[in-house]
Amino acid sequence: MTIKKKPNYNFIIGSILTGLIVALALVSLVYTPYDPDAMDAANKFAGISLKHPMGCDNFGRDIFSRVMEGTKNTLFVALGTVAIGTVFGILLGAFTGYFGGILDEILMRINDAIFAFPSILLALVIVSLLGSGKYNVMIALGIAFIPSFARIVRAEFLKNRELDYVKSARLMGAGSLRIMFVHILPNTFSVLASSVMIGFNNAVLAEAGMSFLGIGVQPPDASLGRMLSEAQTYLFSTPSYAFFPGLVIILMVLGFSLLSEGISQKSV
Amino acid sequence: MRYIGKKFVTMLITILLVSFFVFVAFAVIPGDPALSKLGTEATYEKLEALREEMGLNEPLLKRYGTWIVGFFTGDMGTSYSYDMPVKDMILDKLPITITLTVMSFLMIVAVSIPLGIYTAKHQGKAADKTIFVLNQIVMAIPPFFSGILITLLFGLVFKLFTPGGFVSYTKSIPDFLAYMVFPCIAVALPKIAMTVKLLRTSLVDESKKDYVRTAYSKGNDKNGVFFGHMLKNAMIPVITFLGMILADIAAGSIIIEQVFNIPGLGRILLTSISNRDYPVVQAIIVWLGIFVIVINFCVDLLYKVVDPRMR
Repeated sequence: MTIKKKPNYNFIIGSILTGLIVALALVSLVYTPYDPDAMDAANKFAGISLKHPMGCDNFGRDIFSRVMEGTKNTLFVALGTVAIGTVFGILLGAFTGYFGGILDEILMRINDAIFAFPSILLALVIVSLLGSGKYNVMIALGIAFIPSFARIVRAEFLKNRELDYVKSARLMGAGSLRIMFVHILPNTFSVLASSVMIGFNNAVLAEAGMSFLGIGVQPPDASLGRMLSEAQTYLFSTPSYAFFPGLVIILMVLGFSLLSEGISQKSV
Repeated sequence: MRYIGKKFVTMLITILLVSFFVFVAFAVIPGDPALSKLGTEATYEKLEALREEMGLNEPLLKRYGTWIVGFFTGDMGTSYSYDMPVKDMILDKLPITITLTVMSFLMIVAVSIPLGIYTAKHQGKAADKTIFVLNQIVMAIPPFFSGILITLLFGLVFKLFTPGGFVSYTKSIPDFLAYMVFPCIAVALPKIAMTVKLLRTSLVDESKKDYVRTAYSKGNDKNGVFFGHMLKNAMIPVITFLGMILADIAAGSIIIEQVFNIPGLGRILLTSISNRDYPVVQAIIVWLGIFVIVINFCVDLLYKVVDPRMR
């Protein structure tokens, strides 16, 4: 019997979009068509042309170069955020899920309280404590993301710790740490991969939102969110200034969310 | 009743915990509020006197006690930068943020539930597939960008509203509401997409269960099974989600207020953060936190109504 497999469109389209965006960010490390911060009074609000494929902004800076730079910054913050969220989430979820007991109760209550709090609000509190800036936003969002990862990892550990392979590993004399991180953790990867992608999705949205409010990436560094808020003033005369950064955010978010769905479809 | 009582006590404890954490967080950060209030005029004597007056020399727990009692009796402290009671600053902005939240929430419920039912009923047909693709795209558009697109389209091209022409509710309630429609659409759009998707999945999952087949075999017609049996069960995850959404749009209103130039709570919160005006930040955060916690409590109660099996 042959099983006809339907192509996993979510995964394919998601990978292509994410791949393109990551490529754009990587290229910006070594090459941008213009210096993203170079002002050129002669080209103020220059329209879309071969020389400036997305036009120029109010200082005559090349929008395409700034979009590349902004994509890099947004991805960088998202990467840091997700890294903080996953590493601490895994540690917290692994220990509470594997050992259980009173520590689990206490930590999970706190976790629930934080989880109920909208992450942007939590991030705002932390930013108002630490001050604004790229790295502080990363820490703030990272902390806000820990509970959701911890919860997922904990559920997986709870499920796995009763399974036979864990029991036999224990019989063979493996220590708790070895069982947790060498045996159980790899088995949670498929679930984790999908939630990491959702994490990226949320991190990109949150970073763009924070930068839009002016508390994320600081000028003169380009950031997609900040470009949007600057573009608002010139919305009627130069709509392209707002359009392109917004479009890149959408493609980025779409890519990550499709990828996440694709991955969970694959593992079923 | 015992269930409600237990949930109520948990709610109160969570509120106290959250307010305590926020208070401690703002109390331990470096920087002396008395010093920043005095600025360049600070002398040692003046500083000490002000610290004493502001109660900064008391132990932390006692300060928290005074603050939380004041908080619930209507005294939320004084803003550092405006030198006016925090309560007055918040109170007249509150209706704006509440309107924004409630109006967009009503839009979400009113559009997404019928649409979710429609797509589930027409599963696999062209309309379902079109809505699915649209959903994926709309979900990816952040509200601040859809806000900008709406401003451009409806404000500048079709001239249905004046961008930045916010009218306060104290001046004219109809004009105020009319201005709020478009920000609410921007907030509601991505959430509508998410809710439609969730409701559709939930309904489709439900339709495969045994009790549905039994209900059909007893001679119920399609609509009877759908509305009498499936919908109620399928709504359980949707209710949780709607509760989360309500909390989310209250917090997300901070951004959308900025897009549409609405002087609500978000505006004060942002200026206070950049001015390091902690009493204001603290009060707004704790209020939003209480709002979120109360919503969660209501969701728990709703569960009990929809699904009596819940413990």
